[in-house]
Amino acid sequence: MSEMRPQLLETTTMLFAGMPDWDALVTAGFPLLLVPSAGGGFGGDWGDAFAVLRLAGAQPLAQPLGEAMVAALLLASAGVAPPAGRATIAAHAVGSIDGGRFTGSLGAVPWGQGAAAVVAMIDGGLVLLPGSDAVTPGGSPAGEARDTLAYDAAPVVPLGGGDIMQLGGFLRVALASGALDAALGLAISHCNGRIQFGKPLSKLQAVQQALAVLASEAAAVAMAGAAAARALDFGDAGFEIAAAKLRTNIAIERGVAIAHQVHGAIGFTQDYPLHPLTRRLMGWRSEFGGDAFWADRLGRMAVANGGAGLWAEMTARGDR
Amino acid sequence: MTISAFALPPYAPPLGTAAVRAEIRAFLAANPPPADPVRRANCWAVADDDYSRALGAAGFLGMLWPKRYGGHERAPMERYVVLEELLAAGAPVGAHWIADRQTGPLLLRYGTEVQRQKYLPGMAAGTIFACIGLSEPGAGSDLASLRSRAEKVDGGWCINGQKLWTSGAHRAHAMLALLRSEPGSERGAGLSQFLIDMNTPGVTVRPVVNLTGDHDFNEVFFDDVMVSDDAMVGARGNGWAQVTAELALERSGPERYLSSHALLALLIDAVGDDHRFRGPIGRLTAEMWTLRQMSMATAAKLAGGEDPSVEAAIVKDLGNDFEQRLPQLIQAALDSDLDGSGDLVRLLAHLLQVSPSFSLRGGTREILRGIIARGLGLR
Repeated sequence: MSEMRPQLLETTTMLFAGMPDWDALVTAGFPLLLVPSAGGGFGGDWGDAFAVLRLAGAQPLAQPLGEAMVAALLLASAGVAPPAGRATIAAHAVGSIDGGRFTGSLGAVPWGQGAAAVVAMIDGGLVLLPGSDAVTPGGSPAGEARDTLAYDAAPVVPLGGGDIMQLGGFLRVALASGALDAALGLAISHCNGRIQFGKPLSKLQAVQQALAVLASEAAAVAMAGAAAARALDFGDAGFEIAAAKLRTNIAIERGVAIAHQVHGAIGFTQDYPLHPLTRRLMGWRSEFGGDAFWADRLGRMAVANGGAGLWAEMTARGDR
Repeated sequence: MTISAFALPPYAPPLGTAAVRAEIRAFLAANPPPADPVRRANCWAVADDDYSRALGAAGFLGMLWPKRYGGHERAPMERYVVLEELLAAGAPVGAHWIADRQTGPLLLRYGTEVQRQKYLPGMAAGTIFACIGLSEPGAGSDLASLRSRAEKVDGGWCINGQKLWTSGAHRAHAMLALLRSEPGSERGAGLSQFLIDMNTPGVTVRPVVNLTGDHDFNEVFFDDVMVSDDAMVGARGNGWAQVTAELALERSGPERYLSSHALLALLIDAVGDDHRFRGPIGRLTAEMWTLRQMSMATAAKLAGGEDPSVEAAIVKDLGNDFEQRLPQLIQAALDSDLDGSGDLVRLLAHLLQVSPSFSLRGGTREILRGIIARGLGLR
């Protein structure tokens, strides 16, 4: 854990509570959280990023913070100067690079419209693309921009190796961890306050048992995410992120259902603050690899060295 | 914004973890677990006296206990590594499991010097086994309703009553029993713990054969069983507090998610990279990886002197759910009748049958979720 994390979290909590706009986040230096201090950044580790993004997910903060943090880190690592303006990342690319120029499209780009730069994975490598004016707007279930950007012979800056699915998947794990905790918090206060059958809902055993499951799922995601952050700090987190994203997806399925069930119709209204959490969770489950994507990847890794090899792999990674 | 009811710091292995893992793997290589995969599953319920003795001789029992009681004064996370390696390999550790995990530590905490001297060295050597006398015919999940009693008489205590579902009572040398020591007391008040030699006159053990035909648990009768004053463990009337503390500490160990591990390992060996199984294997791997992190982080918190009883309940509930669903998921993916042919199908059928017990033993799912709900401030 980085030494400055307690202070970082205090500042972050206060800032996020005021629902800052993008410029306020930039002014406070958040997009540069992961960039080394020698490169003008904050020099935070992945545990710091996990903690900050958990707070963003709990708020929930409708800003492309994680995407910008990852893009800034990838550019800094490749020694490429950051663009003037906001950078994001893309999970889906269709098309090809010819003579250093990309023709094709990037799909479901988080806050793609208005981005000055996009980091994408094309032909197995990471590249930096400029923003695009040819935008087909799209949106997540929660109404966050997920845009398709078209390119015609756009200049490409190669950034070397890397896996945008891993890093994007980690962002979704961190956000979902915060959102599940916040949904649990809402559910607990609702059930403590709402009187039915002459007593608070929280005194009903069926409700208690359901909330215990929601709390356990939230705890599992927090743990899997923290372990993935730790592995990222080691520089090799393919297994841990696959496990964390898949576990998060499982928790979203179980947790969202419980959070809504215990809220009854009240949680199904526009006015009540549960849906900004649950509708984001529904979208995040699919983003940067859904269940099938990560189960396939993790399944391949799990069988690579036979039945005994899986245990050996898990313990070797945990013993680092 | 309230965040995280139960946040554990990520687990970071202490120094020496790799060394102790190499140690126990060398032992396992020299003392291979049973060839029959059915004997490697749920292996902390599989007893082998010789295996326990070998572990004791190699210094893998009583690892945390003082040397003067035959222990080895190792670090808690070293013991954790030894346990998870034994369980993942399927070693038959059932004979000594209770004494090493529970009875020994409880004697260290509450026992008299005489009790410690008498039992701990044998427990650490793998030659003295223990069982836990809690449940009774009328007291299962509602443990506080137990009725078996110890009556104060000249020169000691006279014990009458019956315990039920006592695992390993037929192999144990001693039982740590929770008994009503104060006549007319109700619920958790008036209970005391007693350490009873199983060969004391008046103690009768009868098998309760389980649904697979195996004999693991028992009913134990006490008919005017006379024990001396120094059979009492801890303070008179303090039994409930001692037992609940003990239960909280046994719930987060690796045995709470690894009972079905032998099946996953065998499946991987059988199907390899068959794309039809990749999804289920990936999903199980994600859950197992996460549970291991949670179990280790809880153990580390415990080792640091904190009380993670709610976290431990979460680990056990999620872990039991995982080790029960593992055979179900594999059955769903496997296109084969359960006709007893071949190791994989035999092991699958075995685990399907024994896995209902996973969320019953050591605190039912419903009891655990009640503990978690209390931790959330709901009750």
